[in-house]
Amino acid sequence: MDFIRNFPCISIMLCLFAGIISSGLRGRTARWINIALLLIVTFLSACTLFYTLSTGESFVYVMGKFPAPWGNEIRAGVLEAGMALFFCIIMLLSLLGGQHKLVKEVEENKVFLYYVLTNLLLSSLLALVYTNDMFTAYVFVEINTISACGLIMIRQVGRTIEAAVRYMIMSLLGSGLLLLGLCMLYDLTGHLLMSNMKESIAAIVAQGEYNIPLIVSIALMTVGLCIKSALFPFHAWLPDAYGYSTVSSAAILSSLVSKGYIFLLIKIIYRVIGFDIFINTRIIDVLFVFGLMGMIFGSLSAIWENDIRRMIAYSSVAQIGYIYMGFGMGTQYGMVASVFHMLSHAATKSLLFIAAIGLTDVSGGSRKFIELTGSAYRNKWAGVTFTVGSLSMVGIPLFSGFISKLLFAQAAVQINGKMLPALIVLGVSTILNAIYFMKTVIRIYTPVEATAYPSVTFKDMKLYAVVLVLFIVLNIILGINSQPIVDMIEQGLAMFA
Amino acid sequence: MYLILLSIFFPIFAGVCLFIKRENAGRRNLLITVGVCLTLTGLLVVSALFTAYGVDFTLFHLTRSLPICFKIDAVSVVFAAMTMIIFLCAGFFSFEYMKHETKEKRYYGYYLIVFGVLNGLCFAGNLITFYLFFEILTLSSMPLVLHNGSREAIMAGLKYLFYSLCGAYAALFGLYFIYHYGDSLTFTAGGVLNSASAAGHTGLLLIAAFVMILGFSVKAGMFPMHAWLPTAHPVAPAPASAVLSAVIVKAGILAVVRLVYYIFGASFLRGTWVQTAWLTLALITVFMGSMLAYREKVLKKRLAYSTVSQLSYILFGLALMDADSVTGSLLHVLAHGFIKSTLFLCAGAIIYTTGKTRVDELRGIGKEMPLTMWCYTIVSLGLIGIPPTGGFISKWYLASGSLKSAIPVFSWLGPVILLVSALLTAGYLLPLTIQGFFPGADYDYEHFRKQEPSRLMTIPLLILTILSVLIGLFPTPLIDSLTGIISAIL
Repeated sequence: MDFIRNFPCISIMLCLFAGIISSGLRGRTARWINIALLLIVTFLSACTLFYTLSTGESFVYVMGKFPAPWGNEIRAGVLEAGMALFFCIIMLLSLLGGQHKLVKEVEENKVFLYYVLTNLLLSSLLALVYTNDMFTAYVFVEINTISACGLIMIRQVGRTIEAAVRYMIMSLLGSGLLLLGLCMLYDLTGHLLMSNMKESIAAIVAQGEYNIPLIVSIALMTVGLCIKSALFPFHAWLPDAYGYSTVSSAAILSSLVSKGYIFLLIKIIYRVIGFDIFINTRIIDVLFVFGLMGMIFGSLSAIWENDIRRMIAYSSVAQIGYIYMGFGMGTQYGMVASVFHMLSHAATKSLLFIAAIGLTDVSGGSRKFIELTGSAYRNKWAGVTFTVGSLSMVGIPLFSGFISKLLFAQAAVQINGKMLPALIVLGVSTILNAIYFMKTVIRIYTPVEATAYPSVTFKDMKLYAVVLVLFIVLNIILGINSQPIVDMIEQGLAMFA
Repeated sequence: MYLILLSIFFPIFAGVCLFIKRENAGRRNLLITVGVCLTLTGLLVVSALFTAYGVDFTLFHLTRSLPICFKIDAVSVVFAAMTMIIFLCAGFFSFEYMKHETKEKRYYGYYLIVFGVLNGLCFAGNLITFYLFFEILTLSSMPLVLHNGSREAIMAGLKYLFYSLCGAYAALFGLYFIYHYGDSLTFTAGGVLNSASAAGHTGLLLIAAFVMILGFSVKAGMFPMHAWLPTAHPVAPAPASAVLSAVIVKAGILAVVRLVYYIFGASFLRGTWVQTAWLTLALITVFMGSMLAYREKVLKKRLAYSTVSQLSYILFGLALMDADSVTGSLLHVLAHGFIKSTLFLCAGAIIYTTGKTRVDELRGIGKEMPLTMWCYTIVSLGLIGIPPTGGFISKWYLASGSLKSAIPVFSWLGPVILLVSALLTAGYLLPLTIQGFFPGADYDYEHFRKQEPSRLMTIPLLILTILSVLIGLFPTPLIDSLTGIISAIL
């Protein structure tokens, strides 16, 4: 079974090679290669997950022949493998669900580029998940940024170009800060491998030296990743990027790309800096406050929004706020809740984007609420799916959103100082969520007398309907069968230490 | 065990199947299906109540410490039996009534789903299960409110949704605390709070309790969160208003009963500021609801305001936490259920035959529809609290409980406000009777038409009226069984 240890490396390499090969192919062939790649990587990640679950410990894979302090390493534990598996599933579903729009919105001769970009994006996500080396992480952060820009821009209308430029500027600012922090940390520790960095940081902290540079570098890296994952005050790039790009891109960006950065932050917290040292800096309080503000202001912006895609995008801001609030609690429980919410949000947000496109398609392509009236009757599958996603976001039991809220609350009641603000904001933001999601659900289910728009049935959109059903199933699995997943997250976080 | 599950999930499943069913199957066919489903569910509930009493089982675990479990206890019996009777009567009533409405299939579908969900609420064995069904109840009963799809109805539905969700989340907020400071979330007579871990956090828990009571009482229309009720109930089709106003609001009452007596425990809350604040709010609502009803001209709206007032009678009794007052409250749950559903069905019958909605248009209605108006009059007397009807007994117990409880001010203020409100009740219900039967000298006595609705409408009315009188005539067995419940929880 030990050959499974090669799988993480193989998955990353496969993605890179698939990207290179696809660049010389036509759109259709590139698409099949992409699907095959995703299926293979899903399988490989699942194998890795089972392997790490069965051995009960993480493993390190040395790239090349250079041993520890110099070489490049990959590390896989339960959490890494689980995340990789989950990312692949969501990406596959998002691509299949947005396939029919892709054909229409991207020029024929550029379709292959789309798959080149997704392959590269997947490789960078996997690398961010698996890497044990900070410099590799940085390199793939940049690859991630560039391919994400491409994914936004490939649908060439004015707004997407503007959105891509904004995204690029903010994102490069973020990676610049990350690089700065990384350089300072390299300066302090003399290492780039996470495990070695952690040892030296522990030593530095024990000696009580370099206190301020250490905090500054931690802060720089945290802020850099916060900008890239659109934590509240840095979210201005997000609505346009998610709102106007082709739907698969929006789903992938919102549910995977931002999560990749957050996952990297978790790795930095646990594997580079050390959980306790990170907690002792006051940065978690800042994260906590901005998380709470994001929960409120993201939802408020979503309420004022008149465009369904941008509304869902703003809702992401709120959900990212939840995740950072979990970080900010500074406990193991908060962390578990955040990681679970990453999964839950990724599953729900991509579902909402994909379902929303079905609704706008039967409303003459308009995304304004007024045009969407009654669209759930014209596309019943999308209507039901959108409702499920909304209920999950609002936090109705049986769906994944409820469990993450429950986990957050459970984590919140165990810390004294932050309990009340966390619970109150959780309550308020839930109500705000309810306002805009229920408003939308009612809108799409409001019957209209006569409509110029045609209805679609299962026959017109077999693939799309199947994808929607799979999304619903995924969401309900997360909602009903959460305990094993939470156990896995706990096990994975324990392996990080 | 299977009977419990069946009585919850069979109607839900049947309701969902109705949506999928083909449109062109014909009305008769639809009605037969719905009738069979309703009757079957009724039988299932009855048999579950008889055979599965006290059974306690877990369906599955949401998380390790949060099971979804069901249990039938005495409180479940009271609420489930009332739900079943009213749902059957109003269901058969709507077979006739819904002739003049559209989209019947959707109506019956949600009607059945709500029936199942209410059974789930009655049989829920812990707070998380209860919360689950509470949320689903809001979502599934909303389509009944916005049934006719007009702008007014949709805005009312939204208002209902918004208030209910806010209430539910307020309750969820408190649930987190109980989860932390309690032994479990299972409904246990006397409460589940762990005195060791709750020690020192009493203030916090009291806030949680108050927020939860407020949150759950939204469903029961307690001031200051009552505004949705008079908007939402009247716009629904009359049989739906009947179940909304008579049964679905009782979900809020059931929630408060479960919360106060089975989660926090009466001893924890007795004598605290929570009790005082709750009593105050309930009394304000009693008076205000009656006042607003008295001023309202549209019959169904008037009845909805009356619900606001009457439900706070029940909440007042529950808040007193006295054996007599709780007996009175539970009796009033039944009495108000039967009475209010009859009143709304009467209003429905009037609208169905005459199309008139305002009280002042209904002069001489007693001559045209004597049977309906007789039912209306009898249950009106019940709601006012005139013996020998059900309302008298329940109000008697409420008042005597209030006087017996040694809470300063409220022990005498309660009965006073109850009396004033009873007068107002007479003031807003009886004019219809008086004008209906005695339209005055200028009424054209020669040319009125007899237009009694068909038997499908009158028989449910009669059944509910008779029941409301019966619990007033023979309350002893009921009171005995309620005493059993109350001795366990107080």
